[in-house]
Amino acid sequence: MSWEKEVSELNRLKAMTAAMGGEEALARRKKSGRLNVRERIDRLVDDGTFREVGALTGRPEFDDAGVVKKLSPGNFIFGRAKIDGRPVAVAGDDYSVVGSAGGATVPGKFGMCEKMANELRIPLVRLLESTGGNSRSLEQMGRTYIPQMEGWETVIANMTTIPVVSLGLGPVAGIGAAKMVFSHYAVMVRNQSHMFMAGPPLVARLGEVVTKEELGGADLHARAGGVDEVVDNEEEAFAAARRFLSYLPASVHELPPRAEAEDDPERRDPWLVQAVPKERRRVYDMRRVIKSVFDAGSFTEMTRRYGASVITGLARLDGWPVAVMASDPYQYGGAWTNESNQKIERFVDLANTFHLPVVNLVDVPGFLIGRDAEMAGTIRSGARALSAVFQAKVPWCTVMIRKVFGVAGASHADHSRYHYRFSWPSGDWGSIPVEGGIESAYKDEIASAADPEAMVRQIESRLNEIRSPLRTAMAFDCEDIIDPRDTRPLLCEFANNASRLRMPGTVATGMRP
Amino acid sequence: MSNQTVRSPIKAMVWKIEVEVGQPVAEYDPLLILESMKTEIPVEAPAVGVVREILVKEGDPVEEDQPLFVVGPAA
Repeated sequence: MSWEKEVSELNRLKAMTAAMGGEEALARRKKSGRLNVRERIDRLVDDGTFREVGALTGRPEFDDAGVVKKLSPGNFIFGRAKIDGRPVAVAGDDYSVVGSAGGATVPGKFGMCEKMANELRIPLVRLLESTGGNSRSLEQMGRTYIPQMEGWETVIANMTTIPVVSLGLGPVAGIGAAKMVFSHYAVMVRNQSHMFMAGPPLVARLGEVVTKEELGGADLHARAGGVDEVVDNEEEAFAAARRFLSYLPASVHELPPRAEAEDDPERRDPWLVQAVPKERRRVYDMRRVIKSVFDAGSFTEMTRRYGASVITGLARLDGWPVAVMASDPYQYGGAWTNESNQKIERFVDLANTFHLPVVNLVDVPGFLIGRDAEMAGTIRSGARALSAVFQAKVPWCTVMIRKVFGVAGASHADHSRYHYRFSWPSGDWGSIPVEGGIESAYKDEIASAADPEAMVRQIESRLNEIRSPLRTAMAFDCEDIIDPRDTRPLLCEFANNASRLRMPGTVATGMRP
Repeated sequence: MSNQTVRSPIKAMVWKIEVEVGQPVAEYDPLLILESMKTEIPVEAPAVGVVREILVKEGDPVEEDQPLFVVGPAA
């Protein structure tokens, strides 16, 4: 007596769901150059590690004898696997299943996957490709329904519990778009993935005729901050997901893992002493500074094209993962724009949630000014960015590369904590820059001068004399001015000190997408 | 290579134009300098070629994504 017969029936049924949308549908996909969902999972995770949950799920059709003759799988599969030897949850939309929207959805499966990742405290990677709801399903139901975000209580909780990566690998519409952005790292494949709340046909009814690329292409969303990275093919998307996860703990209940330290922590790059131009108005390459001071090849930039005046990304120092924020003088001189503010808030929340120490390389002339900036609501988003900085409890190290002006400059760190902070000799700070403030502050003096222009120059030269950062350091208003070449050794020391201070657990400030 | 339009990366003022129509340029050569937040921000040639058109003049305010130059293939 045994259960062999049942096991073989089980395997027959599993083979039916493993066939996905059927040979014809899979062949069509292959022709269009897109992987099917099971191929995607195989290429994302370590070989042979995927254990599916709910492999029998589908709609059965029975013959007269009550035997299943056909089992049509649902359009969503998930399970556990490993990436770089570490456990993860993987979820994938199966677009080959007819009616990927509506009809083929198995209730509860999506929410259970989110819950599994949450309770097992493992990262979740979503492979997204689905259209939103359609009208045809209404007729099947014979009624309309009130929409609700099924399973979303866990989706939201996951933002503060486990790393979530979303990969847009095809159309991502409606609720799919929401899944995309409810993540810590969202990646889209250029020309293959399009994301929108509603697609071109619906938009056309509002009188806007656009292609799907114009409406929701990957480059549009990179610019709009909808996604953090754009890649050219699926393999690159999987690699990006693996790389992102390598910096993070499995959940907030653990600490970010140290990698093999392959770069000399005492390395001093001679170029750094000439990195910043002596002429204050000139720009320089902050990404080269980043490359130079963090572990070689360890910097992964995120959300590059959104809020571009602030560079954000993950890197390593002596092997320890850290979050990096830095100004890009090429973009508004490094000023914080409305978009930069939103980027900073989300990024600092990410660092705080997953216990990544922050290194902030500052060259901030202030918030972007002007009517457009006022109209964009820059001050309120700036206040939120400032709040994120002050609410972050992770170790924080600031290197003042050049300008530190105004409220945005002042938001480079929570000054009420121990200021782990250095400045380069190019440090230049104040409430407003000397060049801009003279006319209003010395109004009477200038107006009554015989030669007003000469008077401005005279005042300017007086002020420039006291502008040296060394004077600030002598008053201990700046803790240390350093030789720029010492930046890496000092940052590696910081990372080693910080490593002991990281505290696992849920942080007080919940993260929103 | 066909003609390429070089656009402004940011909203700014055109401070200085560094090239003339017909001038050959190498990749990364500065075409013009924008000014924003008291910073001089160079806009560089995207590839080797010749400046075909200059669409702005010094002192012009420009919007983000506004076309600044057309650079064509080297003759």
